[in-house]
Amino acid sequence: MKTQTLFLHLSPLLIPYVSLFCAGVVLAAVQSVGLWSPVPLPSGLGAAYTRLWSSPWFYEMFGFSLYVAFVSALLATGGGTLLACGIWGMPALLRRMSVIYKATLILPHIAIGFIVLVFCSQTGVLASLARLVGMITLPVQFPNILYGGNGFGLILAYTYKEIPFAILMVLGLLAGFDRRLFDCARMLGASRVRIFFRILVPSIAPAMHSAFIILFLYAFGAFDIPYLLGESKPAMLSIEVYNLYFKRDLTNRPLALAMLMLMFCFSVLFIMIYSRVVSSLTARERKL
Amino acid sequence: MRRSTLFVMLVLMMLLVSCGGQDEKKDWLGQDFETITEAAKSTEVRWYMFGGWSHVNTWVDTWVKDQLLSRYGIRLVRVPMDATIFINKLLNEKAAGKSTGSIDLVWINGENFKNAKESGLLTGPFTSLLPNFNALIDPRSIAFDFGYPVKGYEAPWGRAQFVFEYDTVKVDPAPRTFEELKTWIIAHPGRFTYPQPPDFTGSAFVRQVFYTVTGGAYQYMDGENQALFDKKSPELWKWLNDIKPYLWQQGRVYPKDSTQLDTLFARGEVDMSMSYHPPHAQTKILEGSYPNTVRTFVLQDGSLANTHFLAIPFNAPNVPGAMVVANFLMSVEAQLSKYRPSHWGDFPVLDMNRIAPQQAAAFAAVDLGPATLSAAFLAQYAVPEIPSGYLEMIENGWNEKVLREK
Amino acid sequence: MKHAVLFGFLLLLFVFPLFVLVGYALDPAWRYPQLFPDHIDFRSLSFLVREAGPLSRHMGGALLYSLSAVVTTLVMCYVPARILARVPFSGRNLLEGFLLAPALVPPMTFAMGLHFMFIKIGLADTLPGVILVVSMYSYPYMLRALIAGFQATGDDYVLCAENLGAGRWTRLIRIEFPMLVPSIMAGGSVVFLVAFSEYFLVFLIGGGAVPSFTGYLFPLLSSSDRSLGSALTLVFVFVPLMLFVMMEWFVGRAYRRMGLDV
Repeated sequence: MKTQTLFLHLSPLLIPYVSLFCAGVVLAAVQSVGLWSPVPLPSGLGAAYTRLWSSPWFYEMFGFSLYVAFVSALLATGGGTLLACGIWGMPALLRRMSVIYKATLILPHIAIGFIVLVFCSQTGVLASLARLVGMITLPVQFPNILYGGNGFGLILAYTYKEIPFAILMVLGLLAGFDRRLFDCARMLGASRVRIFFRILVPSIAPAMHSAFIILFLYAFGAFDIPYLLGESKPAMLSIEVYNLYFKRDLTNRPLALAMLMLMFCFSVLFIMIYSRVVSSLTARERKL
Repeated sequence: MRRSTLFVMLVLMMLLVSCGGQDEKKDWLGQDFETITEAAKSTEVRWYMFGGWSHVNTWVDTWVKDQLLSRYGIRLVRVPMDATIFINKLLNEKAAGKSTGSIDLVWINGENFKNAKESGLLTGPFTSLLPNFNALIDPRSIAFDFGYPVKGYEAPWGRAQFVFEYDTVKVDPAPRTFEELKTWIIAHPGRFTYPQPPDFTGSAFVRQVFYTVTGGAYQYMDGENQALFDKKSPELWKWLNDIKPYLWQQGRVYPKDSTQLDTLFARGEVDMSMSYHPPHAQTKILEGSYPNTVRTFVLQDGSLANTHFLAIPFNAPNVPGAMVVANFLMSVEAQLSKYRPSHWGDFPVLDMNRIAPQQAAAFAAVDLGPATLSAAFLAQYAVPEIPSGYLEMIENGWNEKVLREK
Repeated sequence: MKHAVLFGFLLLLFVFPLFVLVGYALDPAWRYPQLFPDHIDFRSLSFLVREAGPLSRHMGGALLYSLSAVVTTLVMCYVPARILARVPFSGRNLLEGFLLAPALVPPMTFAMGLHFMFIKIGLADTLPGVILVVSMYSYPYMLRALIAGFQATGDDYVLCAENLGAGRWTRLIRIEFPMLVPSIMAGGSVVFLVAFSEYFLVFLIGGGAVPSFTGYLFPLLSSSDRSLGSALTLVFVFVPLMLFVMMEWFVGRAYRRMGLDV
């Protein structure tokens, strides 16, 4: 196909992509350096970056966001895969009814945060249950999930939101999996655990990897859930960006946008490195 | 060749769109109120205000909206948005040269008003055009907003005073001074906290501590003095850090705004809450969120009092409509409706000496409910707000000296 | 037996919380340590009835920009997806990777970058502005679904029709498009959900002038009125749920009439 026709056909997507997405990223980069600011700025070009470089709180926040994103994506992908395999192994009727796992997919992120709040606060539903069975007598004795300073509330909310997505992706791939391989292995005497790891997992690995990347990056940059559940310290990067961007004076803009650009570059790097690592691992396997 | 011409045309169209309609902006500030009311008939007024109180939202969306529709044919659209955010929006629009925005009226006061006025984000002065303002308001009572001259750029809407809320079942008796409060906090670890500044309520709490431990508010009324602040603030940080280990979550984490503190209090995770609105507790009781044993108290060292206002942005698309709405909200009927606890309970801004005796009696007859302290009682302990420059100093200092302090 | 346990676990995890929300919606005074709500108070429900006007305005607004985003992304991605699925060219994988990026990188980045420009050209505070931004964030899902669909269906039927003399338009409308409907539905569902649940982008670019349900819901969820928050969340779930059920029913019926088994 001629290059010109190719571009013509790709243009309905390429034009908005370049003029909106790429333009947006470029504008964010430009403003982060201090150019094109709506108001005169007190410091020079690139001041935001030098300030971030020397701010310990930035590294703390970055590390915390990575930690929350990584743990929740891991739990969601792992848990989602197990659940998906379980659903796949169900008899047909139950399997069709298992579509209920999609119920919470419809909820917006903030509603998921709300549900976690309702359930896991020290005066929440789970706490009432604990009191009923005699595990605790006072609210303070219930584990301090939401405000314990280790991000458990956030991780819980993200994992809860992400599991149905992981199930969806893995089930999608499992649908094309030939059950006879499974039966054959059973007949040859393989244990369930062995079958899971040596047969199922390699086939659904692409879905698992995609799910992990998507969920990790989503949790890293998302705003809605930390806004509802986040703690004062440690804080997630996206909330700090929001606070800085919407401050009363506009001189903090470059700082907010510089943080965003660093998050953006990290996301891109992560995708590139992860894909490379995964493809080299699978390549090795195939050679064997 | 055809493709590039199409592209050029698209770009030209976009430029045309951005150069927008620069229609003649009529000078509404020079007209009389009848002309303004005529022009406002059957128009839409967009009012941006804080949206976290559903009872206020409901009152605006029902009573206020219906009244405006039947009296003036005005269609009121309420948009929930925090003050700092719509100020940010207006700043953006001003810098981008957007002369016709989407906000007609805003609910504003204090720091936000000062920032807005100094950045040229407001239309005014307009209050002298409003009949209800001239007739019913005592100009001296609203000449200053947080120590900053109002000069007619915002119209008063209601009064607020800082109160503490407590459950009489759990706390009895309530502390009467900050010293007693401190003793109570230390004796009941984990049962008290305050919203994280720069939340409005949390900031107000810290300000009150500041007045009390440094010898009163009046020394700060004379403009912003950094040296004075630096000299006096260590006392403030000491008090806050003294109670820090005994706070909820050992002071590591603070509720990020006052609504979150309300939730903690309503669920019984802390024993006291606070609010800049005296009727707040009664409203929550009526709503079912607070148990009906909740009452309010003020500390004898003083409680902050201020007025909240309405203002008109520089690029409001419907200035006459906004003025008519502001005028209506200052009327006796609107202020009385607002005062009813089933609606809101917010204190009126009207000068009781300027309204007819039967009307004044109607105000006095309103039953605020058991949880709200009367305006007369509260007035004894009222202290004014200090210039808002101190707010920034306190908020920044709090971050460094209290939050990040190990 | 263990299937029943798993099913029960799924029920507990995904359906039970919704029932808890119903509990809060009906009993505002339900608080620790009560395990069950003990009386019914229709306060929250009567709020919903009273506020039906603004509620439907916000819900309608959200439906409008979400459905428009589905249509916009479909138009944007249809032809490019066909190319990416079927025409090999150098750099195709790289391009596909780039095109999928907006769903992965923090959406705040390009949105905040665009924000000031949008104000200048007058797209901020407008519905088209919101639709554009939301489409830019959600199109990768439609793209991926369409690419998978194009790859799965292959162009045999279309070639056959071409041989039999069918014109371009006929080939598109009566053959290619109907075969892709499952993928379009899959991609469209995700785009709709993403757009419908989006708070920040709509809030930033819409500036409060574009009614959105998430904007209406947000301040109430962090308030202490848990009952109202629960009631509104349930309303929020109900509408797309109904939409999906209706969609499944209509499309399923259309397919059965056409003789295809879906």
